[in-house]
Amino acid sequence: MKKIPRRDKLKIYGDLLSVLRSEGNERKKVVLTHVQVQINVPFDRLKNYITELKELGLIEGEISLELTEKGRQYLREYEKILEFMKRMGLTY
Amino acid sequence: MFATSMYPVERMIVELVATILCLILVRFMIKPYKLTREGAFLGLPLGFAFLGISYALAAISYSPLNFPQELLWLPLLTRSFAFVFLATTYFFSNKKSKNGYLLGELTISLLVVVLAILLLVAFVAPEFAFNGYSNANVYLRFVNLACLSYVAFYALRSHVKNPDPSTIWIPFGFIFLAISQYSLFFWYIDSSFSAFIGSLITRFVGLAIFLFVAYRTFYGSNEKKGTK
Repeated sequence: MKKIPRRDKLKIYGDLLSVLRSEGNERKKVVLTHVQVQINVPFDRLKNYITELKELGLIEGEISLELTEKGRQYLREYEKILEFMKRMGLTY
Repeated sequence: MFATSMYPVERMIVELVATILCLILVRFMIKPYKLTREGAFLGLPLGFAFLGISYALAAISYSPLNFPQELLWLPLLTRSFAFVFLATTYFFSNKKSKNGYLLGELTISLLVVVLAILLLVAFVAPEFAFNGYSNANVYLRFVNLACLSYVAFYALRSHVKNPDPSTIWIPFGFIFLAISQYSLFFWYIDSSFSAFIGSLITRFVGLAIFLFVAYRTFYGSNEKKGTK
């Protein structure tokens, strides 16, 4: 079985926002179980993360989740950070 | 003639320019921490901040003002501390377990305590400290060289694991810094002018590479990632 590296909350937030953005780009209706499979977290924890991201103003919507402008900007900056760490040769 | 007393004005200018380059680098490298407030992102900016401080202290010690000779200890110790700090950051960057984090924080705390004690010795017992300066200078260059070689090797290994043209620059940046330390080592031994110039050139090439990579990452185009 493939070992999944330990992720901190920040990384899970990043993965979740990234999945929501790609689902949004494909104009699909966001299905939580589909998101759960993609980011690989238990369903109850996924719901907690979604609540936290809503409180932070990074996502919005009740029936269909989507990124707010703040969420999109955060994700862009987050991806730059990952790219920077990768270029510096650091594992994150 | 004691090698550190040669070319003081030129060295002061060079150290000042290097300080400015490090400050710019710290501004780039602190961005991840500012966005996330994650301690894991503090290693690089702190390492380069210590490096910048060491260059600034070196500039002060080479200035024509009459500062005490013990001041030479400060850049020597802070520079080695910066390289050890960077090596520690790289070493613990892939230790993702709770114990790994704890061990990393303990090691860095220990390094800070060691630096504080060394600085205290340099000021409380300057005669003792200055008598050992020449030897310390040579030994610490070896430490610097070892730390930079480790970081360069680590970064190169990361590149080999996931080959990407954008990740090849940083190992070379650290290799150039290591060559700079190597050249300085020879300069202290035989006061060779070419070793001195070589160390300055390689240092600036190394710092320029870091600046180039940081600038391209944060201000370059996003076409590769396809962000919308």
